[in-house]
Amino acid sequence: MSTLETQAPSGTRVITQSQAVNEALAEELRRDSTVYIIGEDVAEAGTPFKVMSGLVEEFGPERVIDSPISEPGITGLALGAAMTGMRPVVDIMFGDFLTLIMDQLVNQAAKIRYMSGGHFKAPLTVRTTLGATRRSAAQHSQSLHAWVAHVPGLKVALPATPADAKGLMKAAIRDDNPVVIFEDKMNFATKGPVPDDDDLVLPLGVADVKREGEDVTIVATSSMVYVALEAADLLAGDGISAEVVDPRTLVPLDRDGLIRSAQKTGRVVVVDEGHQSYGASAELAATIAAGAFWELDAPVQRAGALDVPIPFSPVLEDQTVPTGESVYELAKGLVR
Amino acid sequence: MPTDVIMPMLGMSQDTGKVLKWLRGEGDAVAKGDPLLEVETDKVTVEIEAPAAGTLSGISAAEGEDVPVGRAIAVVLAEGEAPSANDAAAAAPAADGADPAPAVVKPPSDRSSRRPLASPKARRLAEERGLRIDEIAGSGPNGAVVAADVQRHAPAAPAPAPASFEVGSVWRVMAERTQRAWQEVPHFFLVREVEATRLEGWRASVRRRAGSETVTHTDLLVRLVASALREHPRVNATWHDGTIAGNEDVNIGLAVAADDGLVVPVIAGADRLELAEIAARRADLVTAARARRLKPADVQGGTFTISNLGMFGVDAFMAIVNAPQAAILSVGRIAQRAVVVDGAVVARPTLVLGLSFDHRVVDGAAGARFLDTLAALVEEPAGLVR
Repeated sequence: MSTLETQAPSGTRVITQSQAVNEALAEELRRDSTVYIIGEDVAEAGTPFKVMSGLVEEFGPERVIDSPISEPGITGLALGAAMTGMRPVVDIMFGDFLTLIMDQLVNQAAKIRYMSGGHFKAPLTVRTTLGATRRSAAQHSQSLHAWVAHVPGLKVALPATPADAKGLMKAAIRDDNPVVIFEDKMNFATKGPVPDDDDLVLPLGVADVKREGEDVTIVATSSMVYVALEAADLLAGDGISAEVVDPRTLVPLDRDGLIRSAQKTGRVVVVDEGHQSYGASAELAATIAAGAFWELDAPVQRAGALDVPIPFSPVLEDQTVPTGESVYELAKGLVR
Repeated sequence: MPTDVIMPMLGMSQDTGKVLKWLRGEGDAVAKGDPLLEVETDKVTVEIEAPAAGTLSGISAAEGEDVPVGRAIAVVLAEGEAPSANDAAAAAPAADGADPAPAVVKPPSDRSSRRPLASPKARRLAEERGLRIDEIAGSGPNGAVVAADVQRHAPAAPAPAPASFEVGSVWRVMAERTQRAWQEVPHFFLVREVEATRLEGWRASVRRRAGSETVTHTDLLVRLVASALREHPRVNATWHDGTIAGNEDVNIGLAVAADDGLVVPVIAGADRLELAEIAARRADLVTAARARRLKPADVQGGTFTISNLGMFGVDAFMAIVNAPQAAILSVGRIAQRAVVVDGAVVARPTLVLGLSFDHRVVDGAAGARFLDTLAALVEEPAGLVR
């Protein structure tokens, strides 16, 4: 049925997203001696989420580097290394700290290939997080991927499943351009089947249909895929068949894949955990509205985080981001 | 803005609903979801709920009245809103009957003068089916027409079938003949690219002669094929009930695309005609074919057919044998192509000859020998140049 079953279909293993990322990093470190990791608490602690457990033991402190608390410093160092032949992975523990490295990302990494006339390339991977509901309060709960996606020259990947997390991480490391890959910090323990492929590399820019349906399309990014699937289950109880489409990358964006599904169902809800105003959902909705206009039977709807700082109060925080119930209501309103 | 109370569509084939009883009256305060009235269809009786909170106003359908589905029958005014002149009550005939009945009952909505509400998909579907949106009862928000409304509406009117094309008699004959040939004739195909330098030169020199200015490649090929058939009578033969009948005459059919289908007029005795005669006959036949003036005699007795799609830019193709004939020549375009001459790649005009055969009459070797003769004539038509 979907790619999200926790049973292992033949030719796959069920592992956590955390293990999947760990495997992707280890495989790339083994495959290519120019790959290295730098970040706060990546080596001895294996990151606070334990995603990198065991890596420093296998690859040593020169390739899995614990850095001082200076995000702009390590990003600038990594960019320079990338321009001169290395393939660094910079670990930014919380996506909220992207604000600190914006100059390195936006003005340097995104521009160098263009401004040097292709003389330099920047095969830099920035690995970071997004997502609320971890009770981490307003400075550690944001989903800022739209900031990065807005800047030409930066690619943005948003894996939702262990398989996607592994395949997109390996693709990001091998890409000759800067890629920022966001993992939802609530999903590290989420399990899913990962193909028994000793070199699983997914193309950037190809959407994935996580569940097929006929009546309404729910386009969902990152962990919102699970919210969308929950909504689809609720809709099925009302006899409404929902299709769940995961773009997987915002840049490049699989416009045709989104439009195709919208043309099929005629009704679309876009769910993204970033703030709704001026967010990724706006770009996705506009792309669909223009591309599928004559097939749309209802206005494209969006669900995102409320336009408020993410609250620390659990009761309030849970009200701030889309839920299966809220997406169900929104989608049901389109199917009359 | 006031929220319309709409007569809903409760069944697939329902056109109207009867107002059985108003449960709330003009000016009553209502909450969203309050039952406002009872409606009866031919199948069920249901309560219609208030679509919004506010004051019920502008009731335009009396108890016992049949109202088309999709029509507004009242409005709910939000706090602070006043009944507008365009509201349902104002536009409806006065209940006491004092006023003369209006000649035209306007749709009782303040949207009546505006573009009717409809989704883009509904508009597209309506246009494809030749329907007007304002003829369709909408079941969407504020009475908007959605795709399902158009789809429900469409069966009522016999929609023009957009994908059907007329099959005339010429087309039917072509369909039957090609189908039978394709099913009954064991086809095989031979292909050869030939150089067209001399063919081009021949045509250029012929065209300089008075009366031959319009000689075409097809005319030259008719002449060449006729000569080749004289040498290979088997290719000019016919399969007939388990026997192979030779043909005394060389009668060459030309596949001509007319507006209503493919026709194959025949140049009879082509091997005995001068080039200018072939060109004149071909011109007459093609003109008659396009004008649908071919006489039965013009299309009978063919022993071989030529189909030329070169003018459409086709490089090569394989036609269906025009049974009971034994073979058909498929002619592609003449184009500059890379060929090897004396070990060097050079550009030369070439064309691809495709031959389709009925294997019951001609086998591969006999077909290949015919193609060889024809290719030699195309590449060096000197013996025939007159």
